[in-house]
Amino acid sequence: MGETPEVVLEARHMVKRYPGNMALNDVSFRAYRQRVNVLLGENGAGKSTLMRLLSGVEQPDSGEIWMEGRRIEMRSPRDAAANGIAIVHQELSVLTNLDVSENVFAGRELTRGGMLDRTSEDQRTAAAIARLHMDVGVQTPASHLSLGSRQILEIGRALAHRSKVLILDEPTSALSTVETETLFGVIAELLERDLTIIYITHRMGELLHLGDYFTVLRSGCVVGEAARGEATREWIVRTMFGGEALSSTHEARAREAEVVLSVRDVTLPGRADDEQIQAPLDGVSFDLHRGEILGMYGLLGAGRTELLECLAGCRRMEAGSVSVRGRTIDLDSVTKATAAGIVLVPEDRQQDGLVPELSIRENVVLAAAGERWLSRSKETERVLELVRKLRIAVRDLELPVTALSGGNQQKVLLARCLMRKPAVLLLDEPTRGVDANAKLEIYRLLRELADEGLSILFTSSEIEETERLADRALVLCRGRIAAELKADEITDVALFSAASPRVAAVDTPVGAGC
Amino acid sequence: MNSIAKALSQTERFTNSWARVLLFMLRARATLVLVLLVVIFTVLTPDFLTVNNLSILAKHVSIFGILAIGMTFSVLTAGIDLSVGSVAGLSGMIAGYVLTQGIAFRGVVHYPNVAVAVVAALLVAVAVGAVNGWLVSRAGVAPFIATLGTLYIARGAALLSSQGKTFPDLAGQRARGNTGFPAIGQSFLLHVPTPVWIALVLFAITALIATRTPFGRHVYAVGGNERAARLAGIRVKRVLFLVYLYSAFCAGIVGLIIASELEAAHPATGESFELNAIAAIVLGGTSLMGGRGSVSGSVLGACVIGVLADGLVMLGVSEFWQMVVTGLVIVLAVTVDQMQSRVQAKLLPFLLRSRPEVG
Repeated sequence: MGETPEVVLEARHMVKRYPGNMALNDVSFRAYRQRVNVLLGENGAGKSTLMRLLSGVEQPDSGEIWMEGRRIEMRSPRDAAANGIAIVHQELSVLTNLDVSENVFAGRELTRGGMLDRTSEDQRTAAAIARLHMDVGVQTPASHLSLGSRQILEIGRALAHRSKVLILDEPTSALSTVETETLFGVIAELLERDLTIIYITHRMGELLHLGDYFTVLRSGCVVGEAARGEATREWIVRTMFGGEALSSTHEARAREAEVVLSVRDVTLPGRADDEQIQAPLDGVSFDLHRGEILGMYGLLGAGRTELLECLAGCRRMEAGSVSVRGRTIDLDSVTKATAAGIVLVPEDRQQDGLVPELSIRENVVLAAAGERWLSRSKETERVLELVRKLRIAVRDLELPVTALSGGNQQKVLLARCLMRKPAVLLLDEPTRGVDANAKLEIYRLLRELADEGLSILFTSSEIEETERLADRALVLCRGRIAAELKADEITDVALFSAASPRVAAVDTPVGAGC
Repeated sequence: MNSIAKALSQTERFTNSWARVLLFMLRARATLVLVLLVVIFTVLTPDFLTVNNLSILAKHVSIFGILAIGMTFSVLTAGIDLSVGSVAGLSGMIAGYVLTQGIAFRGVVHYPNVAVAVVAALLVAVAVGAVNGWLVSRAGVAPFIATLGTLYIARGAALLSSQGKTFPDLAGQRARGNTGFPAIGQSFLLHVPTPVWIALVLFAITALIATRTPFGRHVYAVGGNERAARLAGIRVKRVLFLVYLYSAFCAGIVGLIIASELEAAHPATGESFELNAIAAIVLGGTSLMGGRGSVSGSVLGACVIGVLADGLVMLGVSEFWQMVVTGLVIVLAVTVDQMQSRVQAKLLPFLLRSRPEVG
């Protein structure tokens, strides 16, 4: 690819610590002008942390950021924007109470004489939208947009501001195949216009043909760098996962044991209002056997979380039936679901799972307040039993739960669920925000629990996770089950292609796996 | 979705038009209630629609209207300002103090003119607003708690300024050169009371800020999703600070109007006014969760509250029943507001046909 191009943005020796977690340990990263600079790594490797530092959302404990040969200080997203750095966050930050044009110019309004210049805003928004091949009006309320469109809208925001560096944090996690290809096309166009792209992903396949420079992060350290041509698929896998290159071929056990959970025709209407998007479910049916780990893969907005929440009784399904061990249950409350033996470990640990003010012990026993009187000694005994079983690294049960690392917090939630002695364990993104080692540990634990006869259903947006953990996988696409894959059929190509909605009659080639 | 749409195709047209009407009524509910109230009171009391009464009514509405206009921004950011009533009281007392007691300087008491008194009162009001804004935006205190604290502090300060007494006779003395204060609340311009003009000007300015300036958009953005607003580069803390400043400024004006009208400053002035303002804002369709609502809605809400209060007095309804009725109207309005969100979420896909599909 000729001589090395100019470095636009450079991070030098970045260090960032969170309580109980060294997120970045002396990371240096370069982004080359008019190139696609890919940052790879598993969830929890530190990619998003690095990007939060580069976009001014957080400040490093130490380290320097240089932009076009000048050292810059970034105390806020505003400073980053002023330096020409735009970011599309993984967790969407669209203002749903505003319209498309207002979103594009939020924080950087165009004015004439102190008043908003709505006409110019709309014009520039329309131009940006057209370049992104997005089919919406500039005054459409953002709450009416699909998840994919919201993501494109955020890219439009960066375009309208003529940024120099565009950071895309997992941009395809919500996009269908068609949208992904549109995005890749847009990226190619953007490079022509003197933009530098930093592209973060854990989907190794999708960028081998698009990326120019690759940096691999593992557990907060840079473990590999390569230019296009040097970076092969094998190299990436080896570097991302370290010595423990994944052997996703756990023995395909015959799971012809009894059916524990039987789900029939679960249906849910789709809805998008101000804050919440509810993806629709359309006649979802499947069986879960005793001791089986069933993976549910799908893009963002495919309905994964909605399905689990229906099964856990915290979201009312419109139609459909669920039975546990042959007995149909009326799932209108969490109480009924848990009584029937179904428990859920939610996706957002901090929001929906733990009570941060309470101790580890109290968090574990939270759900088990079934007895009339609380007995401290009995509680401690049972909690200790679970702590040992789940190998939770803790010295004192009375410490606040927030003192634990992400992986151990996740185990605390698992312990809480196991207090109920469930028959079916539902996990929504079981290893979100957990570092690489803890991830493997959680996989091992889930496997052990399954071997003891627990039936596990987990959802994941990570291909690797689904490959590694599931005995069988279902692929959810726009609320329907698009494919069922046996253990040896679970590959990233199969998962990704089944998960991507297709436009009728056009059989688009799959972006992944080339 | 397809099968559902097909099944509905027969009844859809009927449902559709019915839904449109329902949705319209829900959206325009404050206007509808206002019209309904005016009609009822006009029928029941012949004096209701007279120039004289409307003039009094407009003055009443102005007081609550200005408070509601000022507080709308803070409610739009998902906050609240409970201190406005006390700030109004304090503002009046400051003006009263300056006009009647003067300012002692090197042993000599000076009596500044009315403009100085007005500015002093507004400065003190804005200072309370700055405390609110600092507590909410920098110290991270919940708006409810922060402004509840300043509610007490400002009221206490108002009482301390006169040891609980009233400053009477704010008309001033020619010898002291501080006459003219009563004009604020009592004069007329083109046959319309000055307070009404003040309210109209504030309404126009505030509505302009809300809809036509970057600041206004930032207010909505912060209320809609504070995190997203911060990530978009909006200076969230600054917005939150200014919002409370503005609310206190408007409350200060209300204090001046009341003191001027009565030609006396009473330390208990404005007690529970904050509740009327909140009621007006909520009636006007502004969500206490932030991000949704309008300044014109708040004015409409203030009109409803004002008309209701006035009309009930003219009907001779006892004060106790007035409170019950006002409470009922507020509860009803919020219930309807909740209904609107739900109905709208259900109907909008049908009505807009804009393919808001998810996924």
